[in-house]
Amino acid sequence: MAFLDGIQRYAVEGRIGLVPVVRGYVAAAVLERGAGGLRPEGVVAEEFVVVPLARLDSAQRRALTDAGLPLVDCAASERAHPILDVQLAAKVVERRRAEVEAALADRYVRARPDGWLVVDGSIADLGTLLGDGPRVLGLIKSHETQFLDGADLEIALTLPVGHRTSVFSRSTGQRAPVYTWYLRLWPWEDHELLHGLVRVERPALPETVREATSVSRWLLAERAPLAARDARWDRLLYPVQQVETFLRAQAGGWW
Amino acid sequence: MTSHDGGAIIGRVVATEALPAGPHEFHFWTALETPIGIGAIVRVGGDEPRAVYAVVVDGRAYSDLQTPLHEVVASEGDPASERGPTRRVEVRLWKAAVLRHQPDEPVQPVPLAAVRLATRDDVAVALRMDTYLAGDGARGIPIGVYRSGGLAAAVSLDADFLLGPESAHLNISGVSGLATKTSAVEFLLASIFQHLPERQGTVAAVCFNVKGPDLGFLDQPGELTEADRELYRVLRIDPRPFDRVRYFAPFKPDGVNLNTLRSHPDLVGTVQPLVWGLREVLGYHEVLLNRDDLDAKADAFLDFLDDRVLDREFRDEWGGVHRVQSFADLERLFRAIFDGLEQAGRADIWRTHHIATIRKVRNRLLNISTRCKGLVTDDGSVSDLPFGAFEDRAVYVVDVAGMDQVAQDLAFTRIVSMLREHLERRELGVEHVVVFVDELNKYAPADGPETYVRKMLLDISERGRYLGLVLFAAQQFRSQVQRRVVGNAGTQVFGRMDMDELATPGYQVLSPATKIKLATLPKGELMVRHPHFTQPVFVRFPRPPVLSGAEGVKRFPPAVDVPFEAAVLRQLRALDRRIPAARVTDAIAGRREDDVRRALLATRRSRPEDTLAYFLAALGPAIARERLAAPAASSSPLRSVDDPYAP
Repeated sequence: MAFLDGIQRYAVEGRIGLVPVVRGYVAAAVLERGAGGLRPEGVVAEEFVVVPLARLDSAQRRALTDAGLPLVDCAASERAHPILDVQLAAKVVERRRAEVEAALADRYVRARPDGWLVVDGSIADLGTLLGDGPRVLGLIKSHETQFLDGADLEIALTLPVGHRTSVFSRSTGQRAPVYTWYLRLWPWEDHELLHGLVRVERPALPETVREATSVSRWLLAERAPLAARDARWDRLLYPVQQVETFLRAQAGGWW
Repeated sequence: MTSHDGGAIIGRVVATEALPAGPHEFHFWTALETPIGIGAIVRVGGDEPRAVYAVVVDGRAYSDLQTPLHEVVASEGDPASERGPTRRVEVRLWKAAVLRHQPDEPVQPVPLAAVRLATRDDVAVALRMDTYLAGDGARGIPIGVYRSGGLAAAVSLDADFLLGPESAHLNISGVSGLATKTSAVEFLLASIFQHLPERQGTVAAVCFNVKGPDLGFLDQPGELTEADRELYRVLRIDPRPFDRVRYFAPFKPDGVNLNTLRSHPDLVGTVQPLVWGLREVLGYHEVLLNRDDLDAKADAFLDFLDDRVLDREFRDEWGGVHRVQSFADLERLFRAIFDGLEQAGRADIWRTHHIATIRKVRNRLLNISTRCKGLVTDDGSVSDLPFGAFEDRAVYVVDVAGMDQVAQDLAFTRIVSMLREHLERRELGVEHVVVFVDELNKYAPADGPETYVRKMLLDISERGRYLGLVLFAAQQFRSQVQRRVVGNAGTQVFGRMDMDELATPGYQVLSPATKIKLATLPKGELMVRHPHFTQPVFVRFPRPPVLSGAEGVKRFPPAVDVPFEAAVLRQLRALDRRIPAARVTDAIAGRREDDVRRALLATRRSRPEDTLAYFLAALGPAIARERLAAPAASSSPLRSVDDPYAP
């Protein structure tokens, strides 16, 4: 069994005129568990410069290229804006992080077709990989987007500990279709409604429905050890937290 | 992973603002499965121009668990529940104390570099043994094997710092009952005898056997395991018993049975009696007489006896001529003085000494031969250590275990004083003498009144190294020994220690982990402090190549005491098994026991080729009372003559 997570960071290094020069850093890692211990199975880290190339002349581009980091183009707002331009660059960084994660997931699944891969977050971005029915699951801790309403939503949000909802299909737009269900890892009664509530995503395949209970049970077993250094400990699995710790340590000066 | 110039990389130095790396101390982490532990020697740096050698003094392990409560929550309050499929991240964080920087200057904080297991060469450099192990000046004395991570490297002491003149003396502490202290000293003596280079001079050892049969079988081979033999191979020491061992023991009060547990018939012949007379003990009256006895007046009278009377022709005022050589002679002198004063009618002063002082000194002196019976004789017979003829690499064992405290103090003081005097004059026969004393806390206690023995021990510890007089001392509790005596020991050795003892101020410099290791040290392991070692080092030493006291008395059970006649025969037969019992019985029948003892002592001391003949000669002809026959009947009576004066 392995666990995948990624991190991203960016910083405005300077400006050429009004154009922000954003340095981005993305990294992803897969830690594989063996005999209870976790060891890195795959690590990718990239550092690059994000800048709207269209706003620079050739001399300015050459100067940036000479800095030694790869240049990544990004869209620019119609007129220069000190904040929006940075946000657009940040989106590029985020997208690159998702690409790196997907690539790493793909590499791991092909190398270990029988192994389970737990991804921190949605798996909808994994694309064609999901069509092959890999043993991949995504674990979503935030519930900003709701996929149910009415009585269904109430059932999902008031699940007792150790319970799950039935599996339902989640709309993903252009992305790969996934099946999903809610699972309560820790009792919420003395806390707020979302305490201990995670949403699990798996490929939209019949075996996902068949395996939902067994998958939920071993996710419950993953509650120990507690990821208690993180404020989201009630929804965060310890191995996933370790991937993040590993990536932060690798990032060094970026943190 | 290994480097071309060092051992395997096992960790990395870590430093934070709260836990910085300094020039004398630093921290490093290792994998969970690491071969090192407390006492391991490591090297920081490999290819770098600077290298730092250090010894691990503490270790910690911790995980990312913030509070035990989180474990309770994760286990839902059930300690028996599964611990979860993922093991928490753990760290092994070690604290190391720097042994040496290379180059030595400038002294800088330890670099944040890879930490490697020390190789054999690293160990030598780390402990500064490279300065005395190789070349023309090699003078290393192996004391044990350093073992860590599969490495077994010999650790040696610098002979100049063990036997002088740079520093000297060795002190060993450890709980009783593990045979560590005695075994370590026996092993170290073997090591010294085999490894001290000839150019460093000759060496002998005088060992005081203060309890049981501890040192009674140094000439007998002991049983060694294969592990012991391997240690000997690493240390390049031939595991054989001592070639030259001479045993000395006083007699029991009966004057013929030796007061030692080495009395088995096969061995007793090698034990020489230790017997002193008045001349030998008078110079040590401070040991024998308590402080109350030794006022200025008594001291003056004793000096008078020593200077003017002992071993000289002395004429008293009443026409008597005395040559005082024994307690019996001394008693005759006293008798003459008392009688003379009484007859002269001036009963209070003799040669400026008051009669009361003379009586007091007489009582105390004549009591010595009673209190030290077996060691001190009335008749002046002497059998002593061969001062002046000590042999190189020989061990002289003096068995004082059966003596009472006063006799032990006397034996100890006189022998050490004689050694010192002979060494000062370079007339002992050897240039270095190691004196081994166990139970040092008894002879040089930290508390209590000042004693002659303690003063002498202090003197040895402070001046002995210039003379070649080296003190190897052992005790259970170092804190109970006079601080200057232990403080002057250049080399300090520790076996398993008592936790209460480790809590005393003398051990504050040790880390808690080192103290725990000391408190649980297995038999055969020691912690060594030596002037060249900037931090204590743990080593393992093999069982000594000699029979232990406990095994010795099993293999050679002590002989039971026998009556006078049988004891004399046994001692003569120990020198020559062929001596017929009847000849001895006839020879000593009707003889005074003192005469027999004197002859026996002379025989044992001389060890002649013809034992019986020598004994009979020493005994001399019996002074028999001859009954004269009645006058013969045929003899003629005097002829009758006229007596002119008859009435």
